[in-house]
Amino acid sequence: MRREQTLADRITGSAVWRSVVRHGYPDTQRNQALIIASNVFLHIHPVKIKRYATKVTYTFCLGGLSFFMFLVLTMTGVLLMFYYVPSTDQAYQNMRDIESSVTFGQLMRNMHRWSAQGMVIAVFLHMSRVFFTGSYKPPREFNWVVGVLLLVVTFLLSFTGYLLPWDQLAFWAITVGTEIGGAAPLLGDRVAFLLRGDYQIGQSTLIRFYTLHVIFLPLVAAFLMAVHFWRIRKDGGISGPL
Amino acid sequence: MAELAQQQPGQGYTPIDEAKRQRLLELVRGRAMARPTDLAEDEVMVWPSLVVVEAVSATVFLLGLVALSVLVNAPLTARANPNQTPNPSKAPWYFLNLQELLLHMDAGLAGVIIPTLALTALAAIPYFDRSPLGVGILGGSAKGRKIIGFTVVYTIVVSIAFVLADEYIKVGGSTRRGFGFGQILQNQGYPEWVYSQVWPSFVIIAAIGGLVALVKRRFQPTRRELVIALFTGFVATYVMLTLFGTSFRGEAQALTWPWDLPLEHH
Repeated sequence: MRREQTLADRITGSAVWRSVVRHGYPDTQRNQALIIASNVFLHIHPVKIKRYATKVTYTFCLGGLSFFMFLVLTMTGVLLMFYYVPSTDQAYQNMRDIESSVTFGQLMRNMHRWSAQGMVIAVFLHMSRVFFTGSYKPPREFNWVVGVLLLVVTFLLSFTGYLLPWDQLAFWAITVGTEIGGAAPLLGDRVAFLLRGDYQIGQSTLIRFYTLHVIFLPLVAAFLMAVHFWRIRKDGGISGPL
Repeated sequence: MAELAQQQPGQGYTPIDEAKRQRLLELVRGRAMARPTDLAEDEVMVWPSLVVVEAVSATVFLLGLVALSVLVNAPLTARANPNQTPNPSKAPWYFLNLQELLLHMDAGLAGVIIPTLALTALAAIPYFDRSPLGVGILGGSAKGRKIIGFTVVYTIVVSIAFVLADEYIKVGGSTRRGFGFGQILQNQGYPEWVYSQVWPSFVIIAAIGGLVALVKRRFQPTRRELVIALFTGFVATYVMLTLFGTSFRGEAQALTWPWDLPLEHH
C-alpha cells in the first residue's frame, strides 16, 4: 500500500533538507547510529553504550550537569557582558541597571550566580562519585588528574567572577581571598601583587579578574573538558562493574 | 582428613599419601570464570537510551534553575568601599574552609601549603591505588561503606573538638593559635614558627595518623579501603570547615550560632 506524500515527507525529502540532515527518522538501528555519527555535537557519544552506563543512580548525571551548567554560564555570561563595563566607576551602576532596567537582566544575573555556585557543588560531588566508584583506577588515572585540574579551574572561575559586581561583598571577599594567596611562603608578596596587579584591589585587579573570568579561564576549561571527554571514550566509556 | 581416612580403612576411603597431601594456604580473591550476566557485553543504542536521560535531566535541571532564579535574587550589597571593612569579612563560601584553618595557624601553612598538598595528594590517588578491585561499586564493598561511615563520624568529632579546643583553651592569651595548645607553647616563649607552623602541622598529621591507625585496627583494610578512608576524611573535613566558616563565625570570627550572624552572611 502506498502512502500519500505528506508535507513533512516533501520537506524531509527535499534537496535542502537532505544536504543538512544525513539520516532518516531514527526508528531503525541504522538511522539511530547515523544520527549519532553524523552530528558533530552528538558525536561526543559512541553509537552504542553499556547498559549500566545509562543508569542515573550510578552517575547521578553530575558530570553532565557540571558541563550543562558551564553552557548555561557561558550563555548568560555573554548576555551580561553586553551591559557590563569592567571599570571601578561604572561596574556597580551597571549591576544596578542590569537588575532594574535590562529586560530579563535580573533573571540572567540570578541564573548566572546560582549556576556558578551550583557548578562548584556539582563538580565537587562529581569528583566524589568518581572516587567512591573507583573510577580513577587504570586506565583512567590521567583523566582523574585532568578532573582535579578542572576542579581548580572551576574554583578560579567562580572566584574571579566574585569580584565583578564591585559591591562590598565582592570587594572584601576578594580582599580576604587574595590575602590567603599572599600568605604563600617566600613568594607571598609577589603572588598577591600578581593577583591584584597593584598593592591594593582597584582598577588593575578588576580588569585582571574580568579578563581571566570571561576569556582566559573559560578557554582553559574548554580545553581541559575536551581532553576530559575524549579520554572517557578512549578509556572505554564510563566505568562499571568488571 | 588424613586422620579420618586412617581411622576408617576399607570403607570407601583411600589412605592419603602424606608426601602428596596438599594444604590450604590462602584464599585469593579473583574473578570467577563464568559470570551470571555479562554486564560488559550488554549494550544499548545511545539514541534513544542515553540521549533521553540527558535531555530529561538537563530539562529538569534547567526548570529548577529558572524557578530558583525567579524566586531568589542574587545578592548585591552596597558599592565597594575600601575604607569600610565589614565585620566579619569573608571569602567566597568554598574558600571559607581555608579561612577557618587560617584562624588556627600560620597563614602560609593554612592558605597555601595545606591546599597545595591536598590537591597534589588528590591528583596522586590513582598512582597510589592501582588495583582494579571494586570498580563500579559505590564505596567499593560493604566494608568500604562501613569505613566511609566510620570516617565521617571520626572527622566530625575531631574537627569540632579542635575548633572548640582553640576557642576555649586559653592560657593567658587571647589569640587563637595552634588549636589552643599553641597558646601554651607561645606563653612558654617558643618562637612563632614552633607554635604556629610546627605544632599545627603535628596536630593535623596526628589527626590523619589517628584515622589511619583506627581504620587499620578496626577493619584490616586493603589499600583501596585505606584510600577510601583518607578521601572521605578530606571531603568531610572540607564540608565541616566550610560549615564552620559559613555558619558559625560572626564578628571578629568569633564562634556564633548561625541565627545570630549578620544578614548578608546567611
